[in-house]
Amino acid sequence: MNDLLLIVVAAGEKVALRSCDVQSVIELEMLAPVPCAPSHVAGLSALRSRVLTVIDCQSALALGQAINREAGAPAVVVDHEGHAYALLLDGIESVTKARSDPGPVRTRMGGNWAAMSHGMVETDEGPLLLVDVAALIAGPQEVRAA
Amino acid sequence: MDDLLADFLAETREMLEALGGELVAWEDDPGDRARLDAIFRFFHTVKGNCGFFEFPRLEALSHAAEDALADVRANRRQADSTLVSAVLAILDRIGDMADAIEEGTEFPAGGDEGLIAALEPEADVSALLQSSLVSGDDGQHKLPSSQRSIRLPVELLDRVMSGVSDMVLARNELARRLRESSVEASVGEPFERLSAIIADVRDAMTRTRMQRIESLFGGMPRLVRDLSAELGKQTMIDVDGGEVELDREMIEIIRNPLTHIIRNAIDHGIETPAARLAAGKRDMGLLSITARQSGNQILIDIVDDGRGIDDTRLVEKAVAAGIIGAAHATRLSPRERTALIFEPGISTAETVTAISGRGVGMDVVRANIERIGGTIEVESIPGTGTRFSLRVPLTLTIIPALTVSIAGQRFAIPRSSIEEIARVDAGTLEMSRVGGAMLAKIRERRLPCLALADLLRMDSGVADEERTLIVLRLTGGELFALAVDRVHDHEELVVKPVAPAIIAAGIYAGTTLTDDGNPILLLEATGLARAGGLQFDALERSMRQAGTPEAAKAARTTPVLLFIGRDGRRKAMPMAVVARIEEVGPGAVETDGDRMRVVIGDRILPLAGTDEVPLPDEELRLFRLHDGRTEIGYAIHEALGIRQIKAEFVAADHSGDIAGVVLIDGEPTSVIAPYKLFARHAARTSGEASPVCHLPADDPWIQNFVRPMVEAAGYRIINDGDGEADLAIMTQPEDGVAISARKVIRLRSEPADLQDEPDSIYRYDHAGLLSALNLSRGRQSL
Repeated sequence: MNDLLLIVVAAGEKVALRSCDVQSVIELEMLAPVPCAPSHVAGLSALRSRVLTVIDCQSALALGQAINREAGAPAVVVDHEGHAYALLLDGIESVTKARSDPGPVRTRMGGNWAAMSHGMVETDEGPLLLVDVAALIAGPQEVRAA
Repeated sequence: MDDLLADFLAETREMLEALGGELVAWEDDPGDRARLDAIFRFFHTVKGNCGFFEFPRLEALSHAAEDALADVRANRRQADSTLVSAVLAILDRIGDMADAIEEGTEFPAGGDEGLIAALEPEADVSALLQSSLVSGDDGQHKLPSSQRSIRLPVELLDRVMSGVSDMVLARNELARRLRESSVEASVGEPFERLSAIIADVRDAMTRTRMQRIESLFGGMPRLVRDLSAELGKQTMIDVDGGEVELDREMIEIIRNPLTHIIRNAIDHGIETPAARLAAGKRDMGLLSITARQSGNQILIDIVDDGRGIDDTRLVEKAVAAGIIGAAHATRLSPRERTALIFEPGISTAETVTAISGRGVGMDVVRANIERIGGTIEVESIPGTGTRFSLRVPLTLTIIPALTVSIAGQRFAIPRSSIEEIARVDAGTLEMSRVGGAMLAKIRERRLPCLALADLLRMDSGVADEERTLIVLRLTGGELFALAVDRVHDHEELVVKPVAPAIIAAGIYAGTTLTDDGNPILLLEATGLARAGGLQFDALERSMRQAGTPEAAKAARTTPVLLFIGRDGRRKAMPMAVVARIEEVGPGAVETDGDRMRVVIGDRILPLAGTDEVPLPDEELRLFRLHDGRTEIGYAIHEALGIRQIKAEFVAADHSGDIAGVVLIDGEPTSVIAPYKLFARHAARTSGEASPVCHLPADDPWIQNFVRPMVEAAGYRIINDGDGEADLAIMTQPEDGVAISARKVIRLRSEPADLQDEPDSIYRYDHAGLLSALNLSRGRQSL
């Protein structure tokens, strides 16, 4: 409740990230592919001499690939278990306040949205899905099982 | 030893401090198993460490306390307040003794027996303790011991180190930006200064934390010798990889586990000489300890060729101790059965000895290794031996690496796993395909070959024959070749761990940033071999190697003297030709046309190695080289020490005195070819006709490798049918060809001297070949 949220576009959909999860909003300076990595890992990038593992959110959600999967693409930097990640997004919109705690979504969602979100939050911009960053980074279940 | 002692004391004191709170809690609840275990481990560690140092009283005290607590752990005895008091008294005594050792004073004798007796069940504890403590009771006004060093939490060092690494990367990025933008020249100078300072700080920080594992391995031969003697066994120890550098703290943490594993190996693994002979083995057991860096991990293997672990008994004991259910026991895999050795309270030893076998230790060992994020595994073949493999992380480290590229994307390979680099089109190797698999033949060795592009599923667009092969060495010593598009630089890289999702790919050990700010991945040799489906049976192979350790070692390496030449470069001189190192005054060198001579004592020798660099005004250091007949001097800047190098190295293709290049201590080093040196500089007796040597014309290896040496040794080369030769050189086995020569040198491809090839010389035995060449030339001139 009353958390600050960052509204972003992932897999063509407006969703929300907790702003406390997000370290910064960047445009990828470069993207070096990682051969043999799981498909949701778009590659490696660097930010201020830190290596970022770039996660393609759309791919993690099993909804295809991000439209813009190259240098210059918008991304947010998050820290997860000591590693720095960049979540590759379609776009970054604005900051808003959560008006409710995340609640369950009572309808079937596409792709892996159900597993990769904390639920729905009410905001001034209408209801938004709150993204589960850790689940996105872990990637689709089949990848983890493999 | 002083360092070790200081560490021991510091460790003991730290553990005592840490136990302080536990003790009070244990006193309240003597049945508390976790606290009991912690206190037990303390005594066990102290006892173990005392084995290194001659502290019989400490050892007796901790042994007695350990015994008593072991009874409690095995439910043979109930912990009660009298036992607690007795144990506390011993803890205090150990602390006082440690203080006395540190101050270098003699601890008042006596009283120990009473403390030990107080541990007995139904002892009159208070009376015994009273009488025992009287003697040591005047120590109230203890002086605080002086501090010569400080102990810092490793997290703090980690933070500083990580900050320094980031600083290096930030500097690199700044350097790149400066290059790209046209900044005023005035910025350049302070920036250079900043760079130098950062480099200094980085070096100092790295040194602060890194230490050669030698400091740990150094004590092992003695430990093994003493233990073997004590147990009436014979054990030979083979230590390899002492040059691997490891975080200082890591070395301290693995010291005890390693010692423990070695004790166990000798006590339980290696059989008595009689039992070994009965089992068809050599009477002397072999214990080999190897360390190797693989990406950001250090692998330490401890292999013995003893009786192995009796996993049936392990399972029985585990079931009896209630660690696993009887039904579950039948479903265990062999590996899981052996791994039961790491469970608390398990020991297969029939009797308890002073060295090991109370059923503790391996659980403590595993706990210690896992605490630092490492792993320990055990493999055992009954009757054949046991291997313990430790993996210890280097969470943050600077490692030397080679950068390579596939389709323009760069990757790094740790230099520690690189054996050699060879170009496919250089003609020294040939490639073949067998059932879709690639094989590379590099100087008579056929190695499995993997294309990095295939492993990474990338399109390289570079044809097989234009690639460069990198021969990689796995932990077990197995070699395989990796084909890459291009080889770039040797670089020192700050390696950071990769995200779990990337680790899962199984072929990467870390990431790093290059100077131009691009992230590159560090490849891991073991992972590549696994991804490429290469199969090596590590354990079996190391056992095979262990069979003839001396023979393999002698053939594998050549001793060289590492030195810095007059031109400032690192070079190596085969030890076989160095008679001694001399120092001469500035007047001893005279120049005669383009030749230089040096006066040593009453002799005048030709002087080589001056490398067009002006000679110093002060003393000149030089090697006296001897080929059996003539002597020459070789000017050097500084001798660094003796190293062992592989006989095979990358051959130099240009003329000069260089035979080839090898990596010594991780740096490329030119190896001097004495043949060429002597040919150029040795004063040839005038009127001596060149001896004639016959070489098979159709053997490219002989023509490419041996011919230059033979020519340099002063021989004229003839081919088949060109008449009588003084010497003939041929490879085995070509016995059918009739050669008319007074002497024949046969070169064999195997290092080992087999029975059916007498008088042959291993083809890369430079010293052997050299002396054979000189010998026959000497004979010819007589």
